[in-house]
Amino acid sequence: MKRVLRRSTMILICTIAFIGGMAYFTVELIMSADDWASQPYNAHIAGSGGLEQAGVIYDRHGAVLAQTVDGERVYNEDPSVRRGLLHVVGDNSLNISTAVQSKYRSLLTGYSLVWGLNMPQSLRISHDISLTVDAEASAACYDALSSYGKKGACVVYNYQTGEVICSVSTNSYDPEAPPEITEDNESEYDGVYLDNVISSSYTPGSIFKLITAAAAIENIPDLYEREWYCEGSKEIGGSDVTCVGSHGTVNFEQALADSCNIVFAELAVELGAEKMTETANRIGINTSFRVDDVDTALGYFDVSKADTNQLAWSGVGQYNDKVNPLQMAIICGAIANGGKSVTPTYIKGGSGDLLKLIGLGKSPSREMFSADTAEKLEHAMRYTVSDYYGDYLFGDLTVCAKTGTGEVGKDKEPNGWMVGFSTDSDAPLAFACVVEDSGYGMTYAAPVAEAAMTAAANSLRTQG
Amino acid sequence: MDFSVIFDVGVVALRILLPIYAIVIVYQCYAAMRRRRRPEKPLVTLLNLATGDKTPVVFWENSIGTTRSSDIIVDDEMVSRNHAVLLRRKEGWFITDTNSESGTYVNGELAEGRVQVYIDDTIEVGDTRFKLLRGDEYNDELRSSWFFRKVSDKPAIKAWKLMLMVTLFHFFMAVEAMFWNDGTNVFSPLLLFGALAVVEWGFFSISYFALRRVSFELEALALFLTGIGVMLLVRQVERSAYVQLIAAAAGMVLFCVIIKLIEDPDKINKFRLPLMIIAVGLLLTSIVFGKVTKGAANWIYIGSISIQPSELVKVIYIIIGASALDKLQTSKNLLEFIIFSMVCVGLLAWMGDFGTALIFFMTFLLIAFMRSGDFKTVILALVAAAIGVIFVLRFKPYVADRFKAWRHAWQYAQAEGYQQTHVLTFIASGGLFGVGVGNGFLKQVAASESDLVFGLVAEEMGVIVAITLALAVAILVIYARAITTRSRSTFYSISACCAAGLLVVQLSLNIFGATDILPLTGVTFPFISSGGSSIMACWGLIAYIKAADERTYSLKR
Repeated sequence: MKRVLRRSTMILICTIAFIGGMAYFTVELIMSADDWASQPYNAHIAGSGGLEQAGVIYDRHGAVLAQTVDGERVYNEDPSVRRGLLHVVGDNSLNISTAVQSKYRSLLTGYSLVWGLNMPQSLRISHDISLTVDAEASAACYDALSSYGKKGACVVYNYQTGEVICSVSTNSYDPEAPPEITEDNESEYDGVYLDNVISSSYTPGSIFKLITAAAAIENIPDLYEREWYCEGSKEIGGSDVTCVGSHGTVNFEQALADSCNIVFAELAVELGAEKMTETANRIGINTSFRVDDVDTALGYFDVSKADTNQLAWSGVGQYNDKVNPLQMAIICGAIANGGKSVTPTYIKGGSGDLLKLIGLGKSPSREMFSADTAEKLEHAMRYTVSDYYGDYLFGDLTVCAKTGTGEVGKDKEPNGWMVGFSTDSDAPLAFACVVEDSGYGMTYAAPVAEAAMTAAANSLRTQG
Repeated sequence: MDFSVIFDVGVVALRILLPIYAIVIVYQCYAAMRRRRRPEKPLVTLLNLATGDKTPVVFWENSIGTTRSSDIIVDDEMVSRNHAVLLRRKEGWFITDTNSESGTYVNGELAEGRVQVYIDDTIEVGDTRFKLLRGDEYNDELRSSWFFRKVSDKPAIKAWKLMLMVTLFHFFMAVEAMFWNDGTNVFSPLLLFGALAVVEWGFFSISYFALRRVSFELEALALFLTGIGVMLLVRQVERSAYVQLIAAAAGMVLFCVIIKLIEDPDKINKFRLPLMIIAVGLLLTSIVFGKVTKGAANWIYIGSISIQPSELVKVIYIIIGASALDKLQTSKNLLEFIIFSMVCVGLLAWMGDFGTALIFFMTFLLIAFMRSGDFKTVILALVAAAIGVIFVLRFKPYVADRFKAWRHAWQYAQAEGYQQTHVLTFIASGGLFGVGVGNGFLKQVAASESDLVFGLVAEEMGVIVAITLALAVAILVIYARAITTRSRSTFYSISACCAAGLLVVQLSLNIFGATDILPLTGVTFPFISSGGSSIMACWGLIAYIKAADERTYSLKR
């Protein structure tokens, strides 16, 4: 009998393994309960009354963006604010999954692992959230962007603190009157639930020259002694690479200011696929940035199968290149910051231990450029604005920028882009703006960027 | 303060108190099991005639030999490692020589087969001679298992009080279910509770008055779990709740029948072959007539009743595996059992019921090891199983697809990971105290009342109750081990430990499958999951644990 008892230890080990498994499950539950609960299919919070007890959402200066009054969710009184911040704040549904009211809904409604979602409505404690965005700046940006009636995105963020001041995505709609999307109006609302700032990526066109320029600064020692001659088109790798005009004799900075395709196409070919890919990867073109629990859409740079001509085009942001607007803003912020990126955030603060619950407070930074490269890029981008675009554009802000016009094929007009940053110490702002199916970045994206930047700077300067 | 807030406070208070109450009940059940059943005295004593040493004989079956693990260790070159077995039966004491080199002699005569010995008889093994004396001839203190309390300790809770606590818990569940958010059929939980109470107290009365059993704590624990499963169903599919209750009652009958059937551990050998044939027959029936449900052909339908034969085969499987000590020592051959196990596991895998196949395989390992103590057999079986799995994946690659969501449930949240992600979401939504019986949303997901029931319990009654119930089943192993040496035969020890082990393996697959820690294989949570065959099998399995308690047969109230 003793022997049988001893052998039964094996069964005891199974049981201990089971108890260990339960402990593992408990740890998983404690660590990720709020992620598990905040799912769009969770009927405890997704139903029509899902926001009945939800807390207030404020902008950075305390303006109410959304609140519950007598069991009804009401949004900011200004329609431009409502539409402009739709993709940041969200609506009553969970359709916009990256919006605060979707991803933090369980917290807004007072979720905690201890009480779950079981509290009767009369006993629930809800949380408020303060966002970093500025209602007025976002409204101004929305008015400018929506005037085209095109899809697009514009984001402005403080590259020193990471706070996003303005983030607008079009198309948009009024969260107080969400459209019923049927087969008839499907095309009108195509992609309307997508926050283009975070979740879309576009052909970059000339703004990608910043990445090619970074690779060239790092790898070509005599870059600044060189001169090129542009006559509007040149055969590279069997086909022509064309320019908008004939730029004549240009040096490196002038080439960026003129956005000369020939120069950057030749640089890309000279650098070769390997070095271009290395720089693009280091800057994070092919990776996502994690912004408040959401991953930005991946950019795309892959020249492993490209021939020489395609490699040339990839250096000027065509071929199969793709970038995400927020990603471009982060890259510009890194240039302004001496090469180090600061990850953006939309959350300024919340009541109670909300910040801890959603795992914020840490902002991973990555070294994208060397300080030297960043300085040279900043100088070149500054020259681009002062020499070419004209400083009147951004009022009293000192802005470094680059425009782009991403060709997307015959049936659609190009993506107009503008990315950049201001160097003013009281308004350290990086921005990226894209308008789909539009035209020159200078014509379409620049006015939106100007509206957003001046409003954002005004917000920082007057109210902090 | 308006009335609705007071009402809400009451509802919340009930939800908070229920988990605490559940813990108290499970604690009381186990506290009652820890009550010592007899004074720690030897049954008989062996007097070594050469040295005058007295050896206490404390078990019903005792191995005599030179190995350290023998119950009666004889330090004598002429004695074999496993020389003989001294065992107690209803008729008295017997000794069986287990193929020793030098033989065993009783009063000078060579013992062949099982020979009865009386007090004052001489037993000779090798050059050592023992005289069989009464138990009270031995005066030293004996050590006993930590599990059992001292006889003099405060007596545990009375069985009827324990039953009252269990019934009251189910009543509170019914009250919670009455005040569900839906608001319809307010009184139907009370009706179900009435039926449940009748079954519970009916079983208790039969056990107490007709069978005159001295203990009821194991049954009380099983009734507690069964009742929770039944009450949860009232707000799911009310009809299933009654089916479940009837099946549970049938399970209680099976429980009593099995205890009666295995009363004499020596007669079980006679049933072994017919039972094996029945088991294989049942499995074959489900292959031939089985209806494919959720990828596994393990259901057969007779009219409107569906039966899962593999559940009932579990109960038979344990009998086939267990054996008395003298049989263990004389026939070390596991071949017959290995072949039977291979047939069972093979047929289950063929049906596509990988969860049950895995349960059988794990149980096979446990039984094989408890019988032989041989690591080689276990390792060999594991290697064979690994090769089998590789073959299945090689020739039936689609099988792997069923498990591709494992540990990646969130990636496949709308497809293969649908059930797991919903379980996790609703467990988190339930919090520690649950959203209340009937207010969960997991019940809208397929198999929530069976494969995913851990999530359902956690959502509606809170994760504390869910974990308490899981541990209540798991701790059965500790109880089964504690009574191992107090059983009337190794047959009961092995079957009790392995039945408890089987329940834990099944529990692990159920809970960890639903929560994406292991692949989801679709097995039931013992006693709680809805499923008639399953609950009957669970009651059948704990019959072995009950039988391992020596008082079940030897003591009447």
